[in-house]
Amino acid sequence: MNDAAAREVVLVRRGTYHDSVTLMRVSRALSDMPGVTAAMVAMATDLNVSILRELGFTIPETDPGDLLIAVRASDTEAAVEEADRQLTTFQRADPAPEHQPPLTTRSAARTPADLVLVSTPGEHAFAEALDAVEAGLPVMIFSDGMPVWQERLLKERALLQRAGDVLVMGPDCGTAVIGGVGLGFANVLRPGPVGVVAASGTGAQQVTSLLDWAGTGVSHVLGVGGRDLSAEVGGLSAMRALRMLDDDPATELIVLISKPPSPEVARAVEEAVGRLRTPVVRAMLQEGAPDLTEATERVLRALGRPVPEWPSWPSWPGGRPAAKAIKGFYAGGTLGAEAAMIAGSRDIVDYGDDAYTRGRAHPMIDPALRVEALAHTQDTDVVLMDVVLGHGADPDPAASLAHAVARAPATVVVALIGTEGDPQDLHRQAAAFREAGAAVFTSNAQAARHARSLL
Amino acid sequence: MTVSTHARRTRVHVTGAASTAVRPVLESSRRPARVLAAFPGGIYLEVRTDLEPSVIAVITGEAIRLPNSVLLSGPLPRVTVGDDASVGDRSIELGPLNLTVRRWWDPSPPLGTVDRASLARAAARLTDPPEPGLAGNAAVDMLAGGCAKGWLLGAVTAAEQLVGLGPGLTPSGDDVLAGLLVTLRHVGAAAGVERAVWLAGWLGATVTFDARTRTTPISATLLHCAARGAASPEVIGVLRGIAGTQPLEPALRRLHRLGHTSGADLAQGIAIGVNAVLSLGDQEPGR
Amino acid sequence: MTLLSAPPRVVTVGAGLLDDALRAQAVPTVPVAWRPPLPGTAEALARVLADPRRHAANELAVSRLTSARPHLVGVRRASEVLAEGTFLHAGPPITWERASGPMRGALIGAMLLEGLAGDEHEAGRALAAGGVTLRPCHEHATVGPMAGVVSPSMWLFEVRDEEHGGTAYCSLNEGLGKVLRYGAYGPEVLERLRWMDEVLGPALAAALERTGPLDLRSLIAQALQMGDELHNRNRAATSLLLRELAPAVVEAAPGAAAQVLRFINGNDHFFLNAGMAAAKVSTDAARDVPGSSLVVAMARNGTDFGVQVSGLGGRWFTGPAGVPDGLYLGAYGPGDANPDIGDSTITETSGLGGFAMAASPAIVRFVGGEVSDAVRATRSMYEITLAEHPAYQIPGLGFRGTPAGIDVALVARTGLLPVVNTGIAGRVAGTGQVGAGLVKPPAEAFTSALLALAGSVSDPFE
Repeated sequence: MNDAAAREVVLVRRGTYHDSVTLMRVSRALSDMPGVTAAMVAMATDLNVSILRELGFTIPETDPGDLLIAVRASDTEAAVEEADRQLTTFQRADPAPEHQPPLTTRSAARTPADLVLVSTPGEHAFAEALDAVEAGLPVMIFSDGMPVWQERLLKERALLQRAGDVLVMGPDCGTAVIGGVGLGFANVLRPGPVGVVAASGTGAQQVTSLLDWAGTGVSHVLGVGGRDLSAEVGGLSAMRALRMLDDDPATELIVLISKPPSPEVARAVEEAVGRLRTPVVRAMLQEGAPDLTEATERVLRALGRPVPEWPSWPSWPGGRPAAKAIKGFYAGGTLGAEAAMIAGSRDIVDYGDDAYTRGRAHPMIDPALRVEALAHTQDTDVVLMDVVLGHGADPDPAASLAHAVARAPATVVVALIGTEGDPQDLHRQAAAFREAGAAVFTSNAQAARHARSLL
Repeated sequence: MTVSTHARRTRVHVTGAASTAVRPVLESSRRPARVLAAFPGGIYLEVRTDLEPSVIAVITGEAIRLPNSVLLSGPLPRVTVGDDASVGDRSIELGPLNLTVRRWWDPSPPLGTVDRASLARAAARLTDPPEPGLAGNAAVDMLAGGCAKGWLLGAVTAAEQLVGLGPGLTPSGDDVLAGLLVTLRHVGAAAGVERAVWLAGWLGATVTFDARTRTTPISATLLHCAARGAASPEVIGVLRGIAGTQPLEPALRRLHRLGHTSGADLAQGIAIGVNAVLSLGDQEPGR
Repeated sequence: MTLLSAPPRVVTVGAGLLDDALRAQAVPTVPVAWRPPLPGTAEALARVLADPRRHAANELAVSRLTSARPHLVGVRRASEVLAEGTFLHAGPPITWERASGPMRGALIGAMLLEGLAGDEHEAGRALAAGGVTLRPCHEHATVGPMAGVVSPSMWLFEVRDEEHGGTAYCSLNEGLGKVLRYGAYGPEVLERLRWMDEVLGPALAAALERTGPLDLRSLIAQALQMGDELHNRNRAATSLLLRELAPAVVEAAPGAAAQVLRFINGNDHFFLNAGMAAAKVSTDAARDVPGSSLVVAMARNGTDFGVQVSGLGGRWFTGPAGVPDGLYLGAYGPGDANPDIGDSTITETSGLGGFAMAASPAIVRFVGGEVSDAVRATRSMYEITLAEHPAYQIPGLGFRGTPAGIDVALVARTGLLPVVNTGIAGRVAGTGQVGAGLVKPPAEAFTSALLALAGSVSDPFE
């Protein structure tokens, strides 16, 4: 009686390209249609083809440059129609001949520009980033998965450029703020005296969001990528970023945020710091060092400004059984590492890691993996999770996650990273998670301590 | 741009960037406002508030980024002078638009430090702006002399005469004073001449005291901004040129292009300010 | 201005979401319409782009290409420059076995012209037996349109690059209709070739001795501003050349002057061959720069489409020649068309022809399309070229220089293939021209060149 349910269709659109975020959104919209049991719209990369085969679809011979539309539904035609409608919505209008869009960064750099933001798949980011460097433009590489030799080469070439501000930020640079402009995942921050050099995107978001709450703004946040301070890359971008902030009249104090660098890089960076006129506060994420919240408080004290209470919203009192274990479901790697250190838990998963983001969107945009993880918790678990607000992030994370929190058997503690200026509305998000039964903290460190106190 | 249905009519949600000068007004509770003037590149809103700036310029990318402006990411709505609007609770309601801010810029960025020699070199290149609106005016001369000598009474007397002097939306007298105020504050601070910053404070208090009754609402708001050191990027660019962090000549050319005589008037104020900083610096003890 | 002194204007490449986030902040952005590179090229691209020599090598190579100053210095009989027993042909190397109809027809015609065979059958047998050595024009500083066959009694334009000192040759244009270069070898074809050998060649040679070297760079620049793109439209350039030559022809060969001038006047494409030699001498100037990914030749033999790259010496990288898409003469249709043939793609290689289509609104009807298509074609070629030609300018684009110097790396990155304007030869030997249009080069010619270039780069890990 339900024979129509078995219908499936796989279409190949040769040479049609859309970015993975767009395709993920279209896939999600199709999956939400009534009568659709499986839907995936994706570029025909090896990974996506194997996922589709696992889903039971038969995939014809394709190139990675082809677009695949795979649907299992009672009405496949309607689903494909919807896919096309969505794809054309996302596609920009066909330009007039005099407005043909540039196809490479090299070509785009013919028009006046100050910065290039690269977010192609990581294996293709090198060409675009090198175009930027060769055009004498600073570049932020949001993409991850770039081989380290390419990163090293880009940063060395940048140093050879005549202009002193050809900074290579990234790869895997999640956040930057330049002259108030938020790039990638960045929060809406007030302008102010604090400059940030960060090898950790979410670490920088935590520090700057807390500063913003305290009424202290930032001049710039220069991300350098998680590997910059490794021995292979040698901190080339961090040292250049430090010099740039030192020369910037708006920057009165610099915060350097990173995981512990390799010893010889640490030495070089310390030497560079020693040559600066601007005072530097370090936030190195390691045992015994101040956590991100403490580092923020040091910054405020160094500026002679008061340290406020960091806002938090305790959970409604409820009758949960005694907690036995802390689990972490994090979107930000650094925040997860900080939580692991403070809460003393080894069960903290970084869903922003390459292993989880290859071929799918970042958990700051796509809540699916964490929604699933929440559903599989025990009533004796304490779940620590971050919700990161700001530009580029999920426009309403509570819409999907708060529901999952409410249904999760576990006790949930949320580290809500964001500012009052963020588009998602910090207070509304906090209220929604609290309503769902979670305790909400704007300081990740405080959230982790709270979680530990529940054991 | 998303469209949602409001209780009464369809609101279009748009976003943009804003000067931090308007942040207090935007973040306070909602107040009524009305359209004061509408141009192709911008709409001036007068907000019923005691806070300053009480006039907010909603502009597009082509317009001058006045220190009281909110820059729209899309086109301006069609409105006419006298239309109702409202500002506050973190948004601006204007015509069909509901406007929220996604980026803040500082209209008063610090200059760093500047030494006396470079300041003197810069002063020489500021001497003759093209035809300021009040060329040869006695009050301008008195203002320049008063500031250079640190003679507060003379400077204040001249400033009072200049507020609202001249035709147009931003009278020349106000532009000269605005250029002077931001220069005394920023260049004074950059050169470490405290007396210049002190003078900026007194002059600022003088011109803003009754500006709302002495000049146009937009010009009064810009004087309030200038008293706090806030200015458009064209003015800040020249100050940076003076401080040696960017080339001075192109910045001056950009400033001179503003308005009918606005750019030249601002430049005249800047020149008076730089000379005052130099001369007050000579008089300070320990120099 | 430095990065930190003002809110940046941002070029965005990749996820549209991040561009949207910037626009929401009222930040001006230039979004790149990025797409993945051609399949199988990602690793080679990274290696080639990482090559420390590349940037400077390409700048040097393309500056040699665009600074060349080709001058028409003479007209010579091919026997003066050609080794005995050798015929030249268009495109990459080809054997008689793999030769297409028009190529075979032209070779037969040359055999008959040279008196090496009594009839077409005898000629075919001799050619199949290897009685004549077949070599690509390109390997002998020569180019030839369509079949491009050059035999000893044909005459060649001689063009010298006054900047770098190179010399290049191209045959004289026979006109349209039944002609050898389209594979026709009937009596009227041979008769015309004999007249060219006995009358036209000597008259032009004598005339050029009187005029002295003619500056082809400035002539081409003028013709572009008069509506030629210098591949499928040469009307303006032919007129300009005729104007330069006419008095000297009258003086040098008073008896034949009327015939000679009438012949040139009757053939709008007469300049094409001189232009091709100019393009050849310019692209040759860009050859052999180690590490350069610049294309220095694109040529077709009717079977294969071949590419040569500056950093890879004389190696050919080929793919199957495609059938042009265009308009057909009379009752001919796509079924009558031979795959793409000829060295005339040297014009595109040097930044003319399809690359300069926006200069030639009149051509778009001929190749099927609208004026906006011509503008779009030229604009798109800036995406795969390394420079804008300083002398060859397009009035309709605000006198922007033509896109010059194809980079195989940019072809692989954008997936955009060079736009080529071309004539279409009939596939049966002896038919002649059947139409004209646009042809799409095979991507593998460019990708295999890129892979070879990657193979020649030392390992970036070392």
